[in-house]
Amino acid sequence: MKLNYNYDGNIACRTILQDQLEKLNISYQLLDLGQIEISDDIADDSFEELQTSLNRFAIHIIDNPKAQLIQRIKDAIIEIVYDKDKFPNTTISQYLSDKLNYRYGYITNVFSEYTYTSIENFIIIQKIERAKKLIIEEKLSLTEISYELNYSSVAYLSTQFKKVTGLTPSMFKRVIDRRRKLSNTE
Amino acid sequence: MIAHQDPMHILLADDDEDDRAFFSEAITELKMDNKLTLFEDGKGLMDYLLNPDIKLPHILFLDLNMPGKTGLDCLKEIRANSRFKDVSVAIYSTSSSEKDIEDTFIEGANIYIKKPNDFSMLKKVIKEVINMNWQFHTSGLNIETFFFSI
Amino acid sequence: MKFLKLFKNSQVFKLALGVAILVVCYFGSKFFSQMQKLNSTLELIAKSNETQLELEKLLSIINSYDYSLRNYIITKDESYLQNRFLNRGIIEEGIKKLKVLTANDSLRSKDIQTLEKLINYRFKLFRETLIAAKSSNVDQLGLNSKLKRSNDYTEMMKMFVYKIINSERLKTKFENSNHQFELQDSLITAFLLIILSLLILLLSFNKTNIDVEELRQANDKLKLLNESFNSAEKTAGFGHWMVNLETDEYTFSDNLYRLMGVEPNAFEANLENSIKYFHPDDLEYVSKVHKDSLLNQQSTSIVFRFLTPNNEIKYIMGVGSFTKDGNGNLIKIGVNYDITNEYKKTLELEENNKELKYINTELESFNNIVSHDLQEPLRKIQMFISRLEEKEFDSLSQQGIDYFSKIRIAANRMQTLLIDLVDYSRTIKGDKVFVETDLNKILTDTIQDLATNIEEKNAVIQIGKLPTIKAIPFQLKQLFINLVSNSLKYTKDDVPPQISVFSNEIADEEIFEYKIANKEDFYKIVISDNGIGFKQEYSDKIFLLFKRLETDAKYAGTGLGLAICNRIVDNHKGFIKVKSSPNEGANFYVFLPKGDLI
Repeated sequence: MKLNYNYDGNIACRTILQDQLEKLNISYQLLDLGQIEISDDIADDSFEELQTSLNRFAIHIIDNPKAQLIQRIKDAIIEIVYDKDKFPNTTISQYLSDKLNYRYGYITNVFSEYTYTSIENFIIIQKIERAKKLIIEEKLSLTEISYELNYSSVAYLSTQFKKVTGLTPSMFKRVIDRRRKLSNTE
Repeated sequence: MIAHQDPMHILLADDDEDDRAFFSEAITELKMDNKLTLFEDGKGLMDYLLNPDIKLPHILFLDLNMPGKTGLDCLKEIRANSRFKDVSVAIYSTSSSEKDIEDTFIEGANIYIKKPNDFSMLKKVIKEVINMNWQFHTSGLNIETFFFSI
Repeated sequence: MKFLKLFKNSQVFKLALGVAILVVCYFGSKFFSQMQKLNSTLELIAKSNETQLELEKLLSIINSYDYSLRNYIITKDESYLQNRFLNRGIIEEGIKKLKVLTANDSLRSKDIQTLEKLINYRFKLFRETLIAAKSSNVDQLGLNSKLKRSNDYTEMMKMFVYKIINSERLKTKFENSNHQFELQDSLITAFLLIILSLLILLLSFNKTNIDVEELRQANDKLKLLNESFNSAEKTAGFGHWMVNLETDEYTFSDNLYRLMGVEPNAFEANLENSIKYFHPDDLEYVSKVHKDSLLNQQSTSIVFRFLTPNNEIKYIMGVGSFTKDGNGNLIKIGVNYDITNEYKKTLELEENNKELKYINTELESFNNIVSHDLQEPLRKIQMFISRLEEKEFDSLSQQGIDYFSKIRIAANRMQTLLIDLVDYSRTIKGDKVFVETDLNKILTDTIQDLATNIEEKNAVIQIGKLPTIKAIPFQLKQLFINLVSNSLKYTKDDVPPQISVFSNEIADEEIFEYKIANKEDFYKIVISDNGIGFKQEYSDKIFLLFKRLETDAKYAGTGLGLAICNRIVDNHKGFIKVKSSPNEGANFYVFLPKGDLI
């Protein structure tokens, strides 16, 4: 039989981290934004062991500082997209700059250099990704979803959805439904 | 995690010689670090893919209207095989019918490209598709809901 | 006339007849009693006359007796006394008779008794006188006194008898006059009787006549009906038959014979004779159905063939049912229709249908060819041109660049045309599935599809509440896409397009103008914009295939868009109209039927 599930990546990730760190007897402190504070210095082989065990879960320890920043930026953005309450009253740039303690100009440059895309674009992609999730969940109407994602109107959401995916939200839903039906009959 | 520095491994299956040439030229002119492999029919493509020694492609472009094994047949086979679950499949077709697009997405395609009739447009499209695909892979987004139609 | 009507009413008539008969009986009995009375009167008169006669006879005999005695006395001739005993006998007879005659009359009886006494005494006197006369010693004085006494007595007797006779005569007279009256009475009665009888007879006769006339008329009508029914059968091509299931008697109508290809009544109506007119292949089936129906008395309805003597095949629909006739006998009646024409037409229709299906399939494959196989080489041309333009840009002369540009434009135009053609043919395709379609959703989808274009043009789209109707969803979407695209395309240069789509009530002028039978039958959907508009005189032309207006030159278009819209609206049994004027935008009115006109 088939089970449908959803997940909170963040919590899953942190749980795995905790399990792995405890298994290797490494004392730690989980910070937010994808950072862990390890109390002592770890030996190289333990570090390698940690890396390997985490790799199984597709969790990678970033050692490049710039890459680390990128990851933090991404995490910050994901956080505000997935929690409406955390959405800042200020502009995104102001928010990120404050949160990560860097000049916004620097943040954008690093981001573009590494991801070959702009922060704005990334935000949009994340928003649309969440919109997809909400559409699949079928709990909220399209209007409610657009409100949840801080769009000024359903039309604006639809426009952006179509820009990003090339599909209209209704077409997207249709495809998901038909896929579900197809896999149910198999 | 697929860093952009790694050469992107791309496959194309299209029975039309000219289309293969266009695609290849476009990729070349884009100057992205890509490795492109061309196939002229579905059977060739599937034979290659099913070889356990090969390195899996990041993205695979499939023409729909191929004689023998059609793009849709290949798509079904690929999606039925869990080995290829992380491979993005782009359908590359002349049809712009909404029904065709929907049908291919339902069968598991991630990207649908209507073959453009202008070369610069082709370059633009390929670039966007590759970018979009990479964004998806690097952002840990759900490949099952990854749809992109252009 | 009311009386006549009453008269015609047979109940009333029976009553009247009864009354009349009673009256006649009454008069008849009256007449009978009168006759009896007359009879008795006559008897009485006869009796009286006879009495008188007898009395006269008596008197004459007594007289003759007297004379005889006198003569003897005078002549002393014995021969005069010869008859005295005989006469006596006659007198006795007479008295007897009189007694009988007067038996019923007590008074008269008494008189006769008296007379008898008198006569007896008279004879006594006779005897005495005779004795006196016969003696040798005739006492002349004594004789004379005896004679005188006899004479007086005779006179007295005569007087008495005359009295009786008179009284009888009076009686006779009285009876006679009575008799006259009675005769008159009875004549009147007889007359009345005759009149009444005649009247009754006449009236009965009249009534019978009327009834007969009515019957005759009814019969005539029936005959006429029968005739017209027969000719109706002939005209409509059906015949009927009847079989009385108790007597196994068959009846065939004239036209049934004709259906079988023979003259009416060409053979005796029964099952065996008609068998040879059924098509041999159908015979078994028909007999089975018929026999089965006789068992369970269910109505039958079958199609079979007659084979006429001219070898003509007729397709017949036969319907049979059971009922009871006037006598309560079960009969099966059936009607056979000649459906040869209909059958042939149906075959033709099926043929046509098959052909149409074939044409449809051909059209579909043609469609496929256009949509794929034609577009492919075209796309290649475009691609290569764009490659050339890019790569060989430097080695081309200006003219060369121009030429290539023109080739590209022409190729693009051809592509647009092909796409539009595909859209158009999709609206013609046969398999149209109508489902409940929410037009609001269709419109939202349309706007989503055109989102990029809308944003580019800064267009503002206002939508009202649209109805849900039975329609082909993809076609209505095409309709909306085409209309909204047009509104987005044909805009004034610096004016952002404002498009509104809403539903409205049909105005009275529109009922008249568009000849709508009932405004409750249609929904009216309005798509209006603030674009460049066009002259109203073209309002019909623009829906024609490939028709473009002069103002369209600078706007890309194929001339198919509105023709497709027209086609789609037509498929839904609606219609589309437009109102516009140059620079005043355009208002498109789409009328779609509400109910099950589809």
